Amino acid sequence: MPGQLETPRPGNGRGPGAPPASPQPEPPRSATPLLVEGTVNGIRISVPKGTTLLRAARLCGVEIPTLCHHEGLPPEGSCRLCVAEIRGQLAVSCMFPLRDDGFKALTDTPAVMDARRYVLSLLINRAPKAPRIRKLADEYGVAPDPRFMKDPDGCVRCGRCVRACRANGPEAIALAGRGFGRSVTGPFRKPPEACIGCLACALCCPTGKITFAEKDGARRIWDREFSLAPCPECGARVFTAEQIAFYGGSASAACPSCRKKLMASELKKAAAYEAPDGLPLP
Amino acid sequence: MRLNSIEELRELRRSLAEAPAPERRLWVCGGPGCLASGALDVFRAVEAACREEGFSDGVRFRADLSGCLGLCERGPLVEVEPEGWLYGGVKPGDARELVRETLAGGRFVERLAADPKCREKDSIAFYLPQKRLIMGRFGRTRPESLTDYLAAGGYSALELALSELGPEEAFRRVELSGLRGRGGGGFPAGRKWRALKEARGRPRYLIANGDEGDPGAFMNRALMEGDPLSVIEGMTIGAFAMGAEEGFVYVRHEYPLSVERLNGCVKAAEDMGLLGSRILGLDFGFRLRIVEGGGAFVCGESTALTASIEGREGQPRVKYVRTTEAGLWEKPTLLQNVESWANVPMIVKNGPDWFRETGSAENPGTKVFSLVGKVRRTGLVELPLGSSVGSLVNGAGGGVPKGRRFKAVQSGGPSGGCLPESALELPLDFDALAGAGAMMGSGGLIVMDDLSCLVDTARYFTAFLSGESCGKCAPCREGLPVILEVLTDMTEGRARVGDTDFLESQARMLAATALCGLGKSAANPVLSTLRYFREEYLEHEGGFCRSGRCSGMYLPVVDGKACRACGACQKACPAGAVEGSGKEPRRVAADKCVTCGACLAACSFEAVKARRRPEGGPDARTA
Ligand SMILES: Cc1cc2nc3c(=O)[nH]c(=O)nc-3n(C[C@H](O)[C@H](O)[C@H](O)COP(=O)(O)O)c2cc1C
Ligand code: SF4
Ligand code: SF4
Ligand code: SF4
Ligand code: SF4
Ligand code: FES
Ligand code: FES
Repeated sequence: MPGQLETPRPGNGRGPGAPPASPQPEPPRSATPLLVEGTVNGIRISVPKGTTLLRAARLCGVEIPTLCHHEGLPPEGSCRLCVAEIRGQLAVSCMFPLRDDGFKALTDTPAVMDARRYVLSLLINRAPKAPRIRKLADEYGVAPDPRFMKDPDGCVRCGRCVRACRANGPEAIALAGRGFGRSVTGPFRKPPEACIGCLACALCCPTGKITFAEKDGARRIWDREFSLAPCPECGARVFTAEQIAFYGGSASAACPSCRKKLMASELKKAAAYEAPDGLPLP
Repeated sequence: MRLNSIEELRELRRSLAEAPAPERRLWVCGGPGCLASGALDVFRAVEAACREEGFSDGVRFRADLSGCLGLCERGPLVEVEPEGWLYGGVKPGDARELVRETLAGGRFVERLAADPKCREKDSIAFYLPQKRLIMGRFGRTRPESLTDYLAAGGYSALELALSELGPEEAFRRVELSGLRGRGGGGFPAGRKWRALKEARGRPRYLIANGDEGDPGAFMNRALMEGDPLSVIEGMTIGAFAMGAEEGFVYVRHEYPLSVERLNGCVKAAEDMGLLGSRILGLDFGFRLRIVEGGGAFVCGESTALTASIEGREGQPRVKYVRTTEAGLWEKPTLLQNVESWANVPMIVKNGPDWFRETGSAENPGTKVFSLVGKVRRTGLVELPLGSSVGSLVNGAGGGVPKGRRFKAVQSGGPSGGCLPESALELPLDFDALAGAGAMMGSGGLIVMDDLSCLVDTARYFTAFLSGESCGKCAPCREGLPVILEVLTDMTEGRARVGDTDFLESQARMLAATALCGLGKSAANPVLSTLRYFREEYLEHEGGFCRSGRCSGMYLPVVDGKACRACGACQKACPAGAVEGSGKEPRRVAADKCVTCGACLAACSFEAVKARRRPEGGPDARTA
């Protein structure tokens, strides 16, 4: 079974699976202040309660390096690169929720730097050629070490590809195995049968580990070949036939730029009926 | 039979107390250790012998399987009630004699004595420092029998809570008892109980952690198979005191018998109206389910465990919310080790002051330890917390066998730590062990003698943990193999200058950055051995293993003055490298020796010693 789900689903034969129906509804949480205020590296900021430290830092213009984090995907906190110091302890900023007023976060203490250096010294041995990892490693002054380079396969196991695929629906790939041997794969370590060739995984990958190629109206990824269907409007080949089928058939088969055009003309038509005063048309 | 009121429970208890007891009983130990050494065959043979003698009605004489009797190393054990005699190393062929002589005849069979010095279990040195509360019913009840449990006072705590105390007082008793979690960290149970009690949201879940992934540990298994109802009663009281609807016992995948016993007991308790809806006819219900574990060490970790119960891959998650606020299915959840739960009935029944009489102020109560390694007696030992490490190692365990020296004691499971001889003075409690760089863990203690190499020990545990790393976070997945690589180099004579310091920094960074408790504590084996045995690391860096454990990194040398010419080393040597004959002291021919270490272990007079190789570095042939 690939990946994990965020929501409960029937058990896998081991755990009892879905929770029993709740006998009574949860009481509403008491009204809480919506904003919390504090500082990141001394810069004062107030953010909605529950905002991650990473986001708050970015709003302050403080850069924190990340690897497994991706704005469009649920966070996982697994690469441990984005650590920062809060309440005297290291926290992974991409997941740490700011809940209390008066927070004081520091993103450049010696402990933080040591931690990042450590993580990068490990990951550079996995992906010694990946430009992004090399750049980070250079920044933090670490280099690959042949003594510990056991399997430099170019993947840092950030899981972004897996989460992207899950977010898109197919759940074709997963991180399988444990420990050092954990790696991204289709079920049973075979090319993923459920893959629709959407490229989401490859485009989310920070190391370029997932390669793909397009040639003669066909796309190759994950050792599988997909034929690219022509756009009914302009003939451009953008989507695979499997993608179109997965998302509900030919209606959505227009390529993105044609779809934009189509949408704009639809909106214009609608606006002609009820354009509110003073609002610009899309 | 279903009990529909507290009065009916009392009535049943009275009638059980009046039932005639057998004149004499044999308790064949059915604990994990004895089962492994053939106790089931012994029990079958005893049953057959009973049939032959016409005792199969079990009225006057009977034989049953019991929970672990403790001295597992001498198993299979048989205890005789009411005399309290203990037999050890019993074979199926001894069954007829046991039944005729002892069961029917009331005579002790010297030949089968578990201890050469005494007949009674309670006067064997192994049991002297012990206080068996958690294991109190082991050897007194049939583990799966609800009626035995009731007859031995079981469910009187729930009865008291339901009839007199009420939820508030039952809760207060646990809170004031000072009970600390037995699953490793020693977190105050009362704090967690209060957090759950005050948590918002329904339903609320209780979980008993019976995952016990430590290699070689089996105290939780012994409990789940020896007195499963104490865990069930504890959880039921917890549900009443804190207001929880449903519970789970999460049992290690490799423990099918635990699952079977627990399920049997749940069923029996439900049928009797002691579990399920409308317990004892009252407006209080608690449903309990037994869940088989996901089969990985990390599944014992709280977030991985909840994921596993929810039916997802048992993998830890980053969480900045307490489980008591959002655990199983994001609902308030209380997770305690099975032994923590088993303490609850005693506490609620006898009160917090009674509980605090045992153990020390900050560490009240008892704890079950598994004692293994280089001591005379091994097995499960239940001691008041705060007893000295020495009372376990030298008291119950009888110390390191003659001819060897104590070197270290490893405590707390794979991610625990190794402590030196000075630790024998330490009290066995959560804080002292953690302060010394080890931990209580689930209570496993391994005694090591002078032939154990601490670098190799650290390598062994690191290898285990590296294999159990789930691989989610970078530090544990990638960092443990780095540590393991250096340790392997060290024990195989490939270490580089500076490796000791490098190891230390790697271990510290791993502890600081890993996602879950596994990775955070995986540095302990290295850090604790570095703290007390740094010299050995530095020696390994220079190619020398003083313990004669790491092949190619020493040379056995016979001390001519100490050698008594017994020839034991010579017999043990597989390479014919030990020379000399008759009354002359033996010598080792360095060119023939393959550094297997057999001679070091064979000598009872400490005459064979591991010395640095003359050429300085490790032996070229084996390195
Ligand atoms: C890797 C790992 C494995 C663990 N395994 C167990 C286990 O087998 N049994 C257990 O009771 N607790 C285990 N724990 C501790 C639990 O997460 C949890 O703290 C404990 O069950 C709480 O119960 P307590 O408060 O009664 O000790 C483990 C923790 C980690 C990090
Ligand atoms: S290309 Fe295939 S594997 Fe990659 S995200 Fe799309 S469906 Fe998933
Ligand atoms: S393939 Fe790329 S995105 Fe996927 S885990 Fe590896 S590095 Fe991350
Ligand atoms: S510390 Fe180890 S076991 Fe825990 S999440 Fe990270 S990789 Fe998994
Ligand atoms: S270490 Fe092994 S090979 Fe060498 S002398 Fe001793 S017994 Fe013989
Ligand atoms: S970016 Fe936060 S842990 Fe990876
Ligand atoms: S299993 Fe029999 S004494 Fe422990």
